[in-house]
This record gives sequence, C-alpha cells and structure tokens, in this order.
Amino acid sequence: MKIATIIAGAVIFLLLAIPLAVQVITAFRGPFLPFGVSSAKWSAENFVTLWELREDFWAVIGSTAAFVGGSTVLSLAMAFGLAWVTVRTDAPLRRVISVLVVVPFIIPPIVKAQAYLLMLSPESGVLNQLLRLLPGDLVIDPYSFVTMTFIQALTNVTFPFLMIVPILTSMDGSLEESARVSGASWPQTLRRVTLPMLWPGLLGVAVLTFILGLGSLEVPLLFGQESGQSIFALKLWNLISAGAGELPQYGLAAAWGCVFLVITTIAFVVYLRATRNAERRASISGKGFRPTVMKLGGWRIPVMILIFVFVLLTAILPLFALFWSAITPYPIAFSFTALVEQTQFGSFGAVLGDPEFWASLGRTLIIAGASATIACVAATVLAYGIARTRRTGWTKAMDLFASSSVAIPAVIAGFAMFLTFMVINPVIPLAGTIAALVIAYSYRVSIAYRAGYSATLQIRMELEEAALVSGASPLEGFRRIVAPLLMPTVFAVWIQMFVLGTNEFTLPAFLATPESRPLSVYMYAMISPRSAQLYAPDQGAAMALIFTLLVFAIGYGLQWAVSLGAIGRAKRRTPLLGVSSTPVVPPVVPGAPDTRAVAAQDLRDQRELTAKR
Amino acid sequence: MTHASGGGRLVVDGLEKQYLLDGAEIPVVKGVTFTIEPGTFTSLLGPSGCGKTTTLRCVAGLENSNGGVISLDGKVLSTGSRHVPPDKRDVGMVFQNYAIWPHMTVFANAVFPLQVSEGKLPKKEAKKRAMEALELVQLDGFAHRPATALSGGQQQRLALARALAHRPRLLLLDEPLSNLDAKLRDTMRNELRSLQQRLGITALYVTHDQSEALSMSDRVAVMNQGRIVQEAAPRDLYYQPADRFVADFVGRVNMIPAVVRDRDGDGDAVVEAFGTRLITPCPSGVAKGTDVTVTFRPESVRWHEAEPDRPNVVPARVVRVEFLGEIVEYEAEILNGQSVVGSIVGRGAPLNSPATGDAIFIELTPKACRVLAA
Repeated sequence: MKIATIIAGAVIFLLLAIPLAVQVITAFRGPFLPFGVSSAKWSAENFVTLWELREDFWAVIGSTAAFVGGSTVLSLAMAFGLAWVTVRTDAPLRRVISVLVVVPFIIPPIVKAQAYLLMLSPESGVLNQLLRLLPGDLVIDPYSFVTMTFIQALTNVTFPFLMIVPILTSMDGSLEESARVSGASWPQTLRRVTLPMLWPGLLGVAVLTFILGLGSLEVPLLFGQESGQSIFALKLWNLISAGAGELPQYGLAAAWGCVFLVITTIAFVVYLRATRNAERRASISGKGFRPTVMKLGGWRIPVMILIFVFVLLTAILPLFALFWSAITPYPIAFSFTALVEQTQFGSFGAVLGDPEFWASLGRTLIIAGASATIACVAATVLAYGIARTRRTGWTKAMDLFASSSVAIPAVIAGFAMFLTFMVINPVIPLAGTIAALVIAYSYRVSIAYRAGYSATLQIRMELEEAALVSGASPLEGFRRIVAPLLMPTVFAVWIQMFVLGTNEFTLPAFLATPESRPLSVYMYAMISPRSAQLYAPDQGAAMALIFTLLVFAIGYGLQWAVSLGAIGRAKRRTPLLGVSSTPVVPPVVPGAPDTRAVAAQDLRDQRELTAKR
Repeated sequence: MTHASGGGRLVVDGLEKQYLLDGAEIPVVKGVTFTIEPGTFTSLLGPSGCGKTTTLRCVAGLENSNGGVISLDGKVLSTGSRHVPPDKRDVGMVFQNYAIWPHMTVFANAVFPLQVSEGKLPKKEAKKRAMEALELVQLDGFAHRPATALSGGQQQRLALARALAHRPRLLLLDEPLSNLDAKLRDTMRNELRSLQQRLGITALYVTHDQSEALSMSDRVAVMNQGRIVQEAAPRDLYYQPADRFVADFVGRVNMIPAVVRDRDGDGDAVVEAFGTRLITPCPSGVAKGTDVTVTFRPESVRWHEAEPDRPNVVPARVVRVEFLGEIVEYEAEILNGQSVVGSIVGRGAPLNSPATGDAIFIELTPKACRVLAA
C-alpha cells in the first residue's frame, strides 16, 4: 500500500512540478529555450524587459484585471441569482431551470464562444437582428471589451452555479428562521445572517472562477482581435505563436507566466483561508438540511422573465446561430427568403465524410480517456494514502500540492507543458504527440484528488478495522472493502474529467500539431480565417453541433450506464424489497468539487482522525 | 455452534499507550493490568477519555501499545515493541457503529471472516458456519438482503454474528449498544449476555453506561484517567466502591463530608456529619479525628413523618420532589443547609413520597453507609 502511495505521489509531483520548474527556469535563462541554445545563461533579462515595457506591462495587468475580474463578478452574480431562485424560492419550474443552467457546461467552451460570435455578428447575427426590431439604433459590437467580458461571464456561469447550489442547499435553515423569529425582516436576515454566513464560501467560489477565467483562451482568442490584445491568455498565446520572420519569445512569455502564477498563488491562499473560515462559521450542519423557501409573490413574473432572457442568451440564440451558420454557405442574416432559397445541409455530410474529423474525434476520445484514467488512478491512490496517514509536515505538503492544480490557470499549464516537451524533446521526443497531450490533460489531478480524499474520509475507519479483526490482511481489506466503496466516486470523477478532456481547447491550442490535434482544435481551424485552406465556417458550425451532440451523448450515456449498473447490482441484492439504498451517481460537475462543504467536511473528519489516532 | 472450552484466557499486564498530538506525547493508558478467565464477561467501565476504548483497541491489535504485555491463552500478542497484527490474533470485534460493510449482503458480511486468509474455509463449510452464526442472532431469514436494508438493532446483531463466525477465542465489544434506543438496548443486553453464556466465549466489553456494565458482567473494571481504579464483581462495586470516583460514577450517591469522632473494635465508627453523629461501618486504619466522606445511596435513605427511636436520624425539610415513573426522587435539606437525595422505588412510590415543604426525618441505617477517605 505504502509503495503504491509513494508512486502515485511521485507521478502527481512530476506532473505538476516539472512544467512549472521549466517555466521558471526559462524565465531566468534568456529570451529563448533555456537549454541547448548557446546564448542561454542565467539572467533576469526577461524581467528587465517586462519592466522596460512598463506601459505594456500595466496594460496587460489592467486589461486582464478588468476582463477576468469583471467577468468573474458578473458570472458570480448571475450564478448566485440563479442558484438562489432554484434552491431558496418557490419559483415555478425550478428543476427545469437548474437543468437548463447546467446543460451548457457540457457544450465545449470553444463551441460556446463560436456560437456567441455568430449570434453577435453585426450584420447577420441573430441577436443583433432581434435588437434591430426594437426602437432605437441598438447594435452590439462583438469585438468591444464590454461585450467580450459579458461573453466570458456567460461562458463560465455554470461553474460557479454548480458550486453555489450545494452551499445554499447545505445551509442550515434554522439559523435564518431564528433570525426571522427574533423579528428580522427578509432583507435584514439576508444582510445580517445569510450573507455573512455564506461569504467565505462565495469567496472561495469567486477565486476558483477567477482562476478559471484567467486560464481560458477561447473567448479572448475569438473576440479579442480588437480590444483584447492585452488580456493575459491572448498575450501569452501571441508571444509564442509568432508570425513569420519573428522569433517566439519564450523567455518573455515565461516571465509573464511567473508573474501571473504569483497572482494565482495569492488567490489560492485566499481560497484556502476562505474555506478554512467557513469551517469556523459552521453554517453547515449535518442535520436539518432544510433551507427555508422564500415566497416570490409579485416578483414571480419579473424573475421568470429574467431567467427566460438568460436561457435565450445562453442556449437558444447561440444554438440557433450555430445551426443557421451550418446551413448557410456564407454569413447571411436570417430571413424567410434566405431560409427557402439559400439553405443547404451539405455541411453536415461534408463533416461526416471528412476522414480528418473522425481521426481527430478518435484522438479526442483517446486523450480524454487516457488522461482521466491516469489522473483518477494516481489521485485516488494518493488521496487514500494521505487521508489514512497521520498528519505530518510531509503529508500536509503533499496534500496541498496535490490540491494545487486548481490554482494553475490552463494557459499557464499549457504553456509550461509546451516548454517542457520542447526542452526534453532531444532526450524524450514527445513534443506534438498524443502522449504529450495525455500528460498535459492529466494536470487537472486536483479534481480527482479532492474527490478521492473526501470519499476516503467518508469510509469510516471502522469498516477497514472490522476487516482486519475478521482476519483479512491489509491488502485484502483494501481490495474487498475500500476499493468497492470508492468506486462510485472514482467513476463519477472519471466521467467528469473525461467530459472536461473532450471539451479541452486551451491545452491543445499550445501543444497539438495537425497530427495530434483533438476535435476542438480541428474545429477551431475551420472557423479561424487565419487557417486559410481549412477555413469553412459552415462546416465548422456543423462540426460544432455534431461535437456538442457527441459530448452530450458520451457524458450522459456514461452516467446512465454507471447508474444502470448500480441499480442492477442493487436489484440483485434486493430480491424482495424494491427499495434500493444505492447512492445515485452525482451529476457531471465541472472543475474542482472543492466546494466549501467538502473542505469543511474534510477538516472535521481530519480532526476526528487525528484525535482518534 | 459451540466454542472450544478452556480457551480464551486474556492477560493484560502493565499496558501503556501514548498518543502523539502536535508533537507532544499524551499518555492515555497508564499501566492497565487485568485478567479475564475463560468464558467470563468483563466490562471496562469509565467516562469518555478514560482510556477504555484504547485498551480494547490495543487488545484487538488496532493500536500498538507502547508498553506492557498482552497475551491470550499464553500466546503473547503484544509487547511494547512487538505486535501481532490484528488479523492474526483470533479475536472477534463488534464496533460502536457496527461497521457493517454497506456494499455487501447480510450473508456476505457474515461469511467474510471465513473467506479471508486467516480463517479461510472450504466454500461449503464457510457457508454452513456463516448461516449458523446468522441463526444465532436470528438473521438467517435475512441472509440475502443488502446489509444496509437492516434496522439498527439488526445491524447490531449482524455485527455480532460476523464477530462470532470464525469462532474466535475472545470477543471484543466497543460500546455496541450506545447507538440503539433505550428499549432495544435492554433487549439486546439480555440477548448478548445469554448468547455469551451459551457459547461460553470470553468477552471484553467497553462501556460508559454503568447499568450495562453492572447487569451483564461477571467482573467490572472501572477506569479513570488511564488507570483501573477498581475491579470487582458488580455487586461489590456498587455497594463497596473503593473511592469517591467509583462511588460517584457507578450509580447515584450522596457524599457528605464528616470527621471520625470515635471508633470501636469491630469496624464501626461514630462520625460527625450534618452537625449530628452517625454510626457507620468504617475500614480499619481510619484513625479518630480523620476527615472522611460518608457515602450512601439514595434508595437506602428512609424517611419518616415522626422521629423514630433509632440511631442515625436527622430532621430535614423537603425542597424538591421529582416523579420519574417507577422512582420518586426527593431532595431534603438538613437544618445545617446540606442536602440529601433520597428515592422511593416501586409501584406505590408516589403514594409513599413526601411533599415539597414537608418537615420530615431522614434515617440512614448504619449498614447503608460507607466511609471513604476524604
């Protein structure tokens, strides 16, 4: 057991530490690659350059802060509102709303960005067409900074929503009830009791949303040509994908990476503090999971209208725009004449007949499946080992380290991995291969690690001790008791990471070559005017739709298969009673399941464990 | 299903255990010594944190002791430095939260000890033995249910069946009844005791509930702060507590400070308490003039409306009467301000009890009193 834990720990350490180390070294070794180039030497040259280009430096900081900060605040506000309506009010169709909000998570972010772009196109975009029907000369410019920030917020809103819902659900309603009984009105209760109790958790969600926003390249890449050049993700991308005749500035890019890694590290510390505070505030109770429900009354209609607008903007119009683009040969505005005269469905057939589509789809599945497996196995073994070991400095450090990948924005991870494979290529030629992508995707181990950790803590020590006392060796105990009990969690996380992997765009954007590119990157090539010979926006849109449908089918299909298996097992065990106590497989949840509830539970269990030992 | 007779003599000698907490060593068990004779039932009784569960877990091998020797039928299980792992100790254990494996059926839980390396049996034999164990606890009809479909009491019985299935030499029970409701607890108490006697298995039982310990055990060892303070048969423990802690922890007790004024040869003494003189038995070696504590149980306090012509009677005023069902408890204030709790047991209790405000006489018969060192 111990050896397995050490191996798993080493895998995770290498996965995260080496790329970051290579990035830091690159930043201090001159303008090009850190090794093998004769001019490479230790120097602070890159940081000096950063400082010499002060104006540029501050532009990037300011622009990134406005873009990521603004979109974080916006998506948090929207997520909180939606979560509040679905969990804490008597709004009609609450279940439908919560499904509608979650569904876009399964849509690959690059597809979402593309759909928004089509929806907002000044001439042919369906939203701008609708706006033209309204009085006043209102046209949304898709390339303005404000639009871009909004789009980023809409793209990411599902992530904070899924994290806020459990926080609101697990809040002990009796605390609010006692405020109400003490004579406080609803707004007073919200201000004096609810929000102070929730804010550490919300702060944690805000930090994770911020890091997610900082790391994603999709929206800046598609919308940022005019006003987004100084946004960090795009800046980093531009620095290394230099045009003809220019040399890529790896050193400078690495220096940028270091600057932003410091920023996210600070944010991560804030996150850890926030979740620790949450424990002290103890707003989560094991009993009485009964959040009080607010009666909307006269607010019913306005709330429903707002939600309808949200669904219109995030699902209906973008999907319509995508579909319209797929059936029209070139961008034209929607009209009945166009519908009758211009539409053709050839693009779907073209996509399905394109061997490169199938090849990149195959690669996507291989990369997502392999990386999810690596991450889940290593993370679960390590999480079990750490959760079952007495807390020492070492285990604490390893625990923090294994949880830290949430603090690494995807662009930095992608760039650092890219550098690493370049550096080791003379010895281990992996650059541009599928294997490189598998390794890079596995960097999201923290998701699996946190889930495995809290799942282990939920398996009471007694269950294992009972096996020992019954005469089972420790290995038998693990195989027959622990492993079967961990399996449902591991499967759920695997599915989640698999879906994340199929949707991944930022990492392969840095790492993939035409020989190893997954579907998301191939699709981008179709819709990007820069890739001259591949450019075919109608096929790109058709591919995006097929891609989305596939991810849906795979994600929900796997989940369905797993739950079917679970029910099947339960039925076999229960020949007489129809009631099954099999836990329902949790829904596909994005990002870290690092919600406050989990963190707080971890802490509590950990304390119990230390006290017991 | 029977157990090999003559097996199961547990000797624990000078057991020591420290925990590391934030770098500091905290002693939890400090030199615990006791012996359990084969086929008997011994309880470790004490408040939470007294080290009783740790002692049990050291016997099971789930904790490694830091000193002392544990042996079972002469086979050394544990010294301060060498430890036989739990799966090689031939013990069965019932855990506080039952530790029923939720992903298995009732039968799979019970047959587990007969499938794994130590107790491995041929399939048919294992099945037969597991079913026997389930029959013992009347769960044979539930064998193929999922274990989680059982009620609390049934899970408890399954845990017992699992612990007995491989016919261990020693049965360990860690507060097994504490999660059951009061009524079920009483039933399970009787079942457990009669099963243990029928099988003749040696049992070590940990509890903080004195009525469990007193009603089930052949011997009770009371623990406090990592040490055994008294080990005795239940009756002796109740009526002859060794010190104030045991007197207070086992049952309700009045403790009155007193001074020895006189003593005669055959073990009786006259002590001054409540500003009056009481005759009480007194251990030899307590000299005249010593400060002591006089203890007596509430149920041995008698009350009278008129003053009887007997020794050990004090006037008092009733300040509180509490009806507890089959027991009525009252508190009477002696004239010097100290108070005595008395109780009346039985069906007629409410009729025979005083009323608040009554002036009464309290009688403490000499044989109901006991003198402890102050």
